[in-house]
Amino acid sequence: MVKIVIDGKDYEVPAGANLVDAAKNAAGNDIPVFCYHPKMEPVGMCRMCIVELGMEEIDRETKQPVLDDKGQPKVRWMPKLQTACTQKVTPGMHVRTATKLVEDARQNVIEFLLTSHPLDCPICDKGGECPLQNLTMAHGPGGSRMVFNDKLKLDKHVPLGDLIYLDEERCIQCARCVRFQDEIVGDDVLAFHERGRSLQIITNSDPGFDTYFSGNTTDICPVGALTTADFRFGARPWELTEVPSICPHDAAGSNISLSTRLDRDAGGKAVIKRVMPRQNEYVNEIWISDKTRFGHHFTRSEDRLLHPMLRRGDTLAPTTWKDVFARVAGDLKAAGSDVAVIAGGAITNEDLWELKQLAAGLGSERLGTWTPTYGGADLVAKVGVGKGTNLKDLGKGDAVLVIASDLEEEVPMWRLRLKQAQDRGAYLVVANARHTRLEDFATQKERNGKPVSGATIRYNVGEAAHVMHELKTRYPEIAEKLAGATNLVIVAGAEGLTLDGSKALMQAAANFLISSGHVGKANNGLMSPLPGANGMGLHYMGFTPENTQHIMANPPKVLIVAQAEPGEDDPTAAAWLSKVETVITLSLFPDKTTHYATYALPIQSFAERDGTFVNGERRVQRFYTAQGPMGEALPAWKIVAGMREALGQAKPKVSAAAVMLEISNKVPAFAGCTYKDLAKVEKQFPDVGGADLYYGGTAYDNKGGLGVQIATSADAGETPAVADVTLPAVPKAKDGELLLLPTTRLYNRSHVFKPSVLVHPRVLLPYVELNEADAHKLGVQPGDVVEIAFGDDTVRVRAGINGTPAGVAVLPRELADKATPFLPTSGTIKKVTEPVLA
Amino acid sequence: MNIIKGFATTFKHLLEEPVTLQYPEQMKPFNPRYKGRHHLRRYENGLEKCIGCSLCAAACPADAIWVEAAENTDEERYSPGERYAKTYEINMLRCIFCGYCEDACPTQAIELGHEHQLSFTDRRDAIFTKEMLIDTPVGKAEGTPRQVEPGVYTRSIPDMPDAK
Amino acid sequence: MTNPIILLRGQEVPNIHQYDVYVQHGGYQGLKKALGMSPDEVINEVKNSGLRGRGGAGFPAGVKWSFIPKNEPVKYVTVNADESETGTFKDRLIMETNPHQLIEGALICAYAIQAKAVYIYLRGEFWDVAHQLDQCIEDARKDGWVGKNIGGGNFSCEVYTHLGAGAYICGEESALLNSLEGKLGQPRVRPPFPAQKGGGLYGEPTVVNNVETIANVPWIMVNGAAEYKKIGTEQSAGTKLYCVSGHVKKPGVYELPFTATFRELLYDICGGPSVEGRNFKALLPSGGSGPIVHLNDQVLDTRMSYEDTAKIGTIIGSASLIVMDDSVDITWVASKVTKFFKHESCGKCTPCREGTYWLDKVIDRILAGEGRPEDVKLIENVAKNMAGITLCALGEFAANPIIHTIKNFPDDFNQHVAKKAETKPVPAKKLAAAGD
Repeated sequence: MVKIVIDGKDYEVPAGANLVDAAKNAAGNDIPVFCYHPKMEPVGMCRMCIVELGMEEIDRETKQPVLDDKGQPKVRWMPKLQTACTQKVTPGMHVRTATKLVEDARQNVIEFLLTSHPLDCPICDKGGECPLQNLTMAHGPGGSRMVFNDKLKLDKHVPLGDLIYLDEERCIQCARCVRFQDEIVGDDVLAFHERGRSLQIITNSDPGFDTYFSGNTTDICPVGALTTADFRFGARPWELTEVPSICPHDAAGSNISLSTRLDRDAGGKAVIKRVMPRQNEYVNEIWISDKTRFGHHFTRSEDRLLHPMLRRGDTLAPTTWKDVFARVAGDLKAAGSDVAVIAGGAITNEDLWELKQLAAGLGSERLGTWTPTYGGADLVAKVGVGKGTNLKDLGKGDAVLVIASDLEEEVPMWRLRLKQAQDRGAYLVVANARHTRLEDFATQKERNGKPVSGATIRYNVGEAAHVMHELKTRYPEIAEKLAGATNLVIVAGAEGLTLDGSKALMQAAANFLISSGHVGKANNGLMSPLPGANGMGLHYMGFTPENTQHIMANPPKVLIVAQAEPGEDDPTAAAWLSKVETVITLSLFPDKTTHYATYALPIQSFAERDGTFVNGERRVQRFYTAQGPMGEALPAWKIVAGMREALGQAKPKVSAAAVMLEISNKVPAFAGCTYKDLAKVEKQFPDVGGADLYYGGTAYDNKGGLGVQIATSADAGETPAVADVTLPAVPKAKDGELLLLPTTRLYNRSHVFKPSVLVHPRVLLPYVELNEADAHKLGVQPGDVVEIAFGDDTVRVRAGINGTPAGVAVLPRELADKATPFLPTSGTIKKVTEPVLA
Repeated sequence: MNIIKGFATTFKHLLEEPVTLQYPEQMKPFNPRYKGRHHLRRYENGLEKCIGCSLCAAACPADAIWVEAAENTDEERYSPGERYAKTYEINMLRCIFCGYCEDACPTQAIELGHEHQLSFTDRRDAIFTKEMLIDTPVGKAEGTPRQVEPGVYTRSIPDMPDAK
Repeated sequence: MTNPIILLRGQEVPNIHQYDVYVQHGGYQGLKKALGMSPDEVINEVKNSGLRGRGGAGFPAGVKWSFIPKNEPVKYVTVNADESETGTFKDRLIMETNPHQLIEGALICAYAIQAKAVYIYLRGEFWDVAHQLDQCIEDARKDGWVGKNIGGGNFSCEVYTHLGAGAYICGEESALLNSLEGKLGQPRVRPPFPAQKGGGLYGEPTVVNNVETIANVPWIMVNGAAEYKKIGTEQSAGTKLYCVSGHVKKPGVYELPFTATFRELLYDICGGPSVEGRNFKALLPSGGSGPIVHLNDQVLDTRMSYEDTAKIGTIIGSASLIVMDDSVDITWVASKVTKFFKHESCGKCTPCREGTYWLDKVIDRILAGEGRPEDVKLIENVAKNMAGITLCALGEFAANPIIHTIKNFPDDFNQHVAKKAETKPVPAKKLAAAGD
């Protein structure tokens, strides 16, 4: 801590802190800024934060401050005003922020900015939450001396990509967007073009603004220069109602704020107008991925399942909930304990609890997860990242290993934060069977003028567990660095692995962490990009992939498929689903699973109800109701409760909060996770979202709760033991065939993403990636249509050649219009020669 | 005595001009700034002045105005600039005719006229839609939406020459 | 001519740009001598010589070199040959007629700070000069003066030339470094300064010196600091290249000691006003960026040194004298200079980016006879608001011409504003000149 003087008062501030931050935190003094952002390096471009700066004179000989006649330290003031954002506090620093000189200079900077800024606040999407507006009101001159007709006229509608539009007139050249892409994301797709008053933001990627984080630039833009295609002219900010929520798409559990407004087109009901990040420095800081931001349209999709449906012959016909409950109760009673449940990753804890209770009441414990590929969630519960973990704290001396996962596509938020951990000095190791985006960062030696360290490991498809298990012998140097790191986080996925392989990998990773002592403390431990927003919730509620395998092998009499899509994901679904006597689906959309359903029941999406998810870092987080229900849809837990009531098991709970209360009492992991606990907030830095828009841009402070992190058993003091790893057989292609490697794409054609029409140009056409030699052997050129045969099924996709390992064909899931394998599978590829429609 | 006084008053007035107006056949002339039913104005070229900025709705103390905006294109242009009002509704039962909307409007699109004879038999009829509120184009001017020459109508707020 | 010639040796020795000729006339002896001294001794020698930076600011070169940390493994020397100040054309002449002296000087500097490499950053238009320099570097390499083990010793240093893309701002040292690194030519925030770790080229400590500064170094090494100090004035040692342009009979580059006065240069050497019957009116002693002065007797009798020019309220800067006679409208000058700075502003910081654009608009209006009475005050105020809060010195440079033209020649401005009352438009000819 050092002592500085701001406007005549003494303050203790952390040594080396940025002066703007220090003034805000210690003195509550808002030095106005445009270009400065606490998450990024200062550049001193806008000149708005200028202050008078002085240093106490130090006698060179005695090293003591020189005192004036009054006994006060003598201050040598700098002749010119200085930008506060580029100053680090030093002992004896004196700052004046409110003198006439400073106020005049601020006024001048505002006047300069406004000479080129158009007066179109009435139509500007930022109008009402605009830092330039606010600071003009606070510090600006009353009028402008600029002749209105001398104002610059530039293009107001420049698409930087499919998602973001630039208004060149409004841009004040603060470079926040450029720096965000360079410094924080690492996709340097934006740049300045030209110079002087012609300086403009351009994109230098093809397609334009090619990154998964583009939407964040519109948040941090201090003016309305960058707008999203989603929200352009959607509403004025003051008309919006903010509802705290959680991203339903991936394991990061990004905190979001749903901005809703009544809409004439939606029959006067509230709809989500935009999705904004909600600050949670533990989870997503103030960023969200574009999928989180633009992937909300499914909640109001017209394709949603709107009424409870009952099978009548070949078709499903609408019926009433009362009828459904009575009939289902009958079927369940008849089935006795031969009942099973398969639940997907996007389902809430409340739903899972009711499902578990229903099955238990019938004497069944067959609770499966979908998709049954990711094992080892139990290990995450044992040796997962310790309580209080914040990936933001990883830095110098720490290490991260990402194995068998393409984090950019699976959990982009983790990829963003781990890349930043590397920026701060952490050692990043990326191990995979193929090239991934994160690998690019791991191979870099220097980024933005700072040295970074990392390493990469490539292995044969399916050998992730072998590599992890034998890391010390195979890659001694890397293993040593990882084991010797102050903090170590391992992110282990399941790409290219069978369930046994995934379990073996997780165990091997856990063993490594245990043996190197990186468990049971914050910022150390295991993470897994489990599919869906509630992968860990499934584990804590007793749902396992092993059970799913068992269910698939031994179809029960009654199967409840809750928010899972085996019909969409599994090419062999027909074989086992058709053996089930009664399939009950709880889903948002009528899909290929509902083909097999006797009852297809509509559930409410995350936006229409209250609920909780457990993210990959085991943080239980709640979301709130943002909009009214679609059709007759009910929250899944209510549907199950209705069934339980009809069965005579129990009376339904009155609300999701009541369900969670019961969970917190009955499930030890969720102790202390009542809705009230989950809604607790604390002061966070940087201070965003306040009425003063201090750091500019639009971000929401967290009013809905930071969530509660479940302790691992290692946290609780249990000493985890190293367990044996059973190395599974490596999946191999049959002779003369290729090994089809299923991968994940962030932008896909799943039911929950398809309704986000504006992202469609960015969703890739179904494709397969081949090795050059394999393609040559097959006579396939890039862009050719090929037919892939696996099992009894075929799919037609376009071929690409992109340096995949020899004998391996990368076939991303959820892109084609029919199910492709979700496990590595042997298959054949042949070029389609007959004419095909493009 | 008082009776005589009373009759005197009555008879005195018999001889004076009557002050009652035979409304609705007869109408009192309006003060030019009388605030009656709203109009959405157009420019001379027929484009709508309203840019859907919703400031009138923000200014409205009775929460009577509902605006939803959308983006103009040169193929389908309603107003100059990028934004226009897709939905514009005023609930006349809520409106208190204070004229704040007029004050708030940056393009002088909304003006309160002199019509005051508003009656409804259904609450729904009291909601005046954009079609009811907007003026018909003057003279030969084309209405909206219409296709225009690209790059001409790029500014929402008309140029404001500095006062001399 | 009794004046000493240090830089323009091409006048005395024909073909000194050729390696053989240069060596015959004592070439690379300064480097040889330096290699025999310790680096600190070399720095002290340059410090003692009183050599000041010729780029404009006049910072003592030896002091600058001594700021370089000794214990850093990687250091660089960058020669600023981005000669783009208006009216400056001296560095080009050095590089064309006496290139080896520059290379030798740069290597002495590199030895003094133990740099790994020398980068000569030339403006984009100097591609032919760069080509010749490359040839010279190769010639010197053949004799072991460039590359590994220079002069047979342990010191190794590579010399590279690099062409910019034609931006005035890249003459500013930190923008130059950005441009050299392949980034956008915009100045950096200081501190850290180029001489510090983290502030120089690729983050390493770097000396950035002007061509003319560096070209003086071999002479100092050969003849000694004391000898150099004898030339010039107390605070401005050595000779200076003066670039004279404008209304004089013989414009050009002249090498004179700092003791010379403006009168000696403009009348005795350049021959006085170019058109008989006209008188000198104004002088820009340091190109477009310095304060303008009345070219009166007081100014004419001033010595062209750093300290003497300061006394008359201007700077000698890079010594690019633009001379104007009484046919020139100073408002037009202000307009031309403002247009230059508007065009060359990098756009990084607000006051310069917006201020130059605004100033240009208002001056255009004044020149077109549309000016309002308050417009002169307005541009003066806008210029003053720009100065002092910009990121780099360009903002100040851009404000200077306005502030000083209005201060020194208010009548030139007021006549235009007054014209509006007569509603007489400005002659078309003048308008065309103002708005290129």
